Amino acid sequence: MEKQTASSDNKNVLLRMEGICKEFPGVKALDNVNLTVKAGTVHALMGENGAGKSTLMKCLFGVYNKDSGHIYLEGNEINFKTSKEALENGVAMVHQELNQALKRNVMDNMWLGRFPKISKWCPLTSEKKMYEATEKVFEELEVHVDPKMVMSRMPVSQRQMVEIAKAVSFNSKVIVFDEPTSSLTEEEVEHLFRIINMLRDRGCGIIYISHKMEEILRISDEVTIMRDGQWVATRPAKELTMNEIIRLMVGRELTNRYPEKDNKVGEPILQVKNLTAQYSLLKDVSFEAKAGEVLGVAGLDGSGRTELLENIFGIATRKEGEIYLHGKRMMNRNARESLANKFAMLTEERRATGIFGIRDIQANTTISSLPKYRRGPFLSDKLMSESTEWGINAMRTKTPSQKTQIRSLSGGNQQKVILARWLLTDPEVLLLDEPTRGIDVGAKYEIYQLILDLAKQGKTIIMVSSEMPELLGVCDRILVMSGGRLSGEVGAKETSQEEIMTLAARYA
Amino acid sequence: MAENKLKAKEQAFKELSSKDKTKKITDLLLNNAMYIIIVLAVIYISIKVPAFLKLPSIVNVISLTAAKLPIALGIGGCIVLTGTDISAGRVVGLTACISASLLTTTFKVFPDMASAPPIIVVLLVILVAGGLVGLVNGFSVAKFKLHPFIVTLSTQLIVYGIILMYLMKGTNNGQTLSGLTDGYRNLITGTLFSIPTATGNVAVPKYVLYSIILVILMWVIWNKTTFGKNMFAVGSNEEAANVSGVNVSRTIIMVFVLAGMMYALTGFLDGARIASANANTGLNYECDAIAACVIGGVSFVGGIGRISGIVVGVLLLQIIFTGLNFLAVDANMLYIIKGLIILIACAIDMRKYLVKK
Amino acid sequence: MEESKQQPEQQTRQLRGLYSKVKISVRTLNIIIVVLVALLIGCMAFGISKGGFRVSFDTQGGTPVEMQSGIMYGEKMEPPEIPTREGFEFDGWYSDPEGTMVFDTESDPVTESITLYAKWKEK
Repeated sequence: MEKQTASSDNKNVLLRMEGICKEFPGVKALDNVNLTVKAGTVHALMGENGAGKSTLMKCLFGVYNKDSGHIYLEGNEINFKTSKEALENGVAMVHQELNQALKRNVMDNMWLGRFPKISKWCPLTSEKKMYEATEKVFEELEVHVDPKMVMSRMPVSQRQMVEIAKAVSFNSKVIVFDEPTSSLTEEEVEHLFRIINMLRDRGCGIIYISHKMEEILRISDEVTIMRDGQWVATRPAKELTMNEIIRLMVGRELTNRYPEKDNKVGEPILQVKNLTAQYSLLKDVSFEAKAGEVLGVAGLDGSGRTELLENIFGIATRKEGEIYLHGKRMMNRNARESLANKFAMLTEERRATGIFGIRDIQANTTISSLPKYRRGPFLSDKLMSESTEWGINAMRTKTPSQKTQIRSLSGGNQQKVILARWLLTDPEVLLLDEPTRGIDVGAKYEIYQLILDLAKQGKTIIMVSSEMPELLGVCDRILVMSGGRLSGEVGAKETSQEEIMTLAARYA
Repeated sequence: MAENKLKAKEQAFKELSSKDKTKKITDLLLNNAMYIIIVLAVIYISIKVPAFLKLPSIVNVISLTAAKLPIALGIGGCIVLTGTDISAGRVVGLTACISASLLTTTFKVFPDMASAPPIIVVLLVILVAGGLVGLVNGFSVAKFKLHPFIVTLSTQLIVYGIILMYLMKGTNNGQTLSGLTDGYRNLITGTLFSIPTATGNVAVPKYVLYSIILVILMWVIWNKTTFGKNMFAVGSNEEAANVSGVNVSRTIIMVFVLAGMMYALTGFLDGARIASANANTGLNYECDAIAACVIGGVSFVGGIGRISGIVVGVLLLQIIFTGLNFLAVDANMLYIIKGLIILIACAIDMRKYLVKK
Repeated sequence: MEESKQQPEQQTRQLRGLYSKVKISVRTLNIIIVVLVALLIGCMAFGISKGGFRVSFDTQGGTPVEMQSGIMYGEKMEPPEIPTREGFEFDGWYSDPEGTMVFDTESDPVTESITLYAKWKEK
């Protein structure tokens, strides 16, 4: 029944996603999301970091299995298991992070997994056919790339063109662009838009994911906005303004999910001057932080927030810039030096760079402060278990014992163990990168409380977060990063999510 | 207390559904397949050849275990770092040759020497030699991020070349070195104590004591020092260790240097134990040592392993091979069996950590 | 929300080391283990059934001496015939080519497959 209505509803509809739900343990990533893409249109998908855009696309391509909901392609229900299956059925994606075999040449990448054979009887791959087919696609798209060029020798923009050409070569009906312009120059963006317009005129349906509002208003016909895993609105692009989009994206109420702020901000103790990174986009960032202050860092994904912390802590290579603590210059060339200079850093990817999964709580807690427990040449078990016990109690970590493997704990408790690890090094400046990522709501509150308690003890806390309400609720001041630069500084009490969002989009 | 625990476990087991029960039993059987095979083999062998369970044979197994322990203790550290070390056997050979060439009465390699240098000097020389090879290994792994397999493969070849050249020195002309001094032989193979039996005394050699000392030393290093804790941290998550302020490079280098010294000590023991040394001394020792570590639960997952596990692993492996030797199994077949044992141990190790995710 | 990005990574990330890229089901692994164990037991059984050490003789220039096989652990070999060589006198069997370690074929038990070397004295 439903299928019939779907097809008779609108002949023009190419892709239709209805009531998509996806739940991860403890988090509802997608809640009844709808998306309808018409043939011959560009449909923009917008939302804050983690609004569920990528999750939705991953459900379409079969990277995740959706819990419920239906996907129709030209009226037929589909349920792709792999992205290969999706490609074969005319649904392609141009990824933000290019997954290409860099050491191989352009045509190898285009025809990867479906190399043309010389003939039915000869199973050898035909270089000639491959070359000709590649040339043909490139001509159509006005791309001037030698099909025999090795990928790693080409600029990112050209590699992206190859990726687009690959999608076209599959005769895709629906093409998803995930932040395609983030590494392109203006001229290249124009070229990309020409290609997109051409694809649209051919009758393809384009899903365009981007943070850049000007682009979206220019290129797209329709805009769907998502927030917190929910569908918010779908409007024709002509009826929208930038401010309207921002309002729809962030329009959520600040609820009383945050502990009372009672930390006292003291004198400035940390100065960062002209910090520029060697290998990332971070450029010329200067700021001051005060004792007992919680300083937030806001910005979109890839705006250089994490890089800022990594450069201060010395785990990324600095090009220029000076760091002063109490007026004294700190070199912070590596984590050990920063540790000795009383810095501490909670990394963003807890599982990759935070925990020692198979080691127990005690080993995870004491690893950064081992010299403290030395008695003669040996470590004292007693001192170590005392410190661990302190850490468990102070953080209110829920664990059966000190000897429990950390990977069996929940995300929030793992985070508390790592916090305890850093507190045992007695830091003055705590750098927290997404301290509440992947943690359930109750535990988040406890982490906020801990952060404020630490600020009350006079520690300086610099906290990066993708969740704006969190920054507004916990921080005193907020730095906003955009495109690797500092685009503004706002007081948490005076500002609004709209203002931060505008600043974050400034250099994007 | 223990009884209560056992009863509680039994109770919990009874409460499981039949499907869970079969799963539990398969888990138990497969995860311990190695131990089960070894126990069955030992039972079979002792029925076939009763002498296998007699005191001389037991002492023999223990002394051979002791002789092979230090090298396994060294390699264990490399495996904890998710690496491996296949240069171990050749380092044993090199240090055995150095010891045998210096602590000798014939001085074929150094014809100008008149008397053997003090044993302690030789011991230091071989520790430095082993440590140097370890340093090269560790430095390449830590700084160039090369896979330990490749690095140690090349050092293995280099060390072999050095052994061959060393044996060509002086008037030796590549021959087996023998004629060791009594002092050296007594220090290693002298009788620690002897156990009287009906058929005569069974002597326990002194190197068993040295092995025990090394086991204790390594246990302390692994469990009671900053270095040990750092080693496990680097093994379980290198990036997290770096962020936590652990000097990752230094830790890796130290693990390899320590391993190199352990191989050197194995060579020092082996020279006197076999009473000779040649280019083939120590050949394939690393295979036994790696197999023993994996059987003993030092996992390739990294960051997991215990000294007690290594001791058990070496012991079990020695028991099975002594047993097969009692049954006069062809030495060529023993290689195949050894290879299969390593494969099974790895598969079981993998299974343990796959299930837990 | 960010949980969504991390959940699938969690499982692979925690399995680091040499197995970080292993994609295999427990079932397959079980089969592999069982097959390998069967193979191991087979090899042991084969080795035991074909058990017996070999003693070969290297006469180092003298007349050849026939190899002996099927000697069990701790047994003594049958006394080998004595080789001859022109201009030399036979000086016993040794377990190393240089002739430093004597092997008494009448009393020393065989504990592994070995090669014995003849030693010659000039007449």
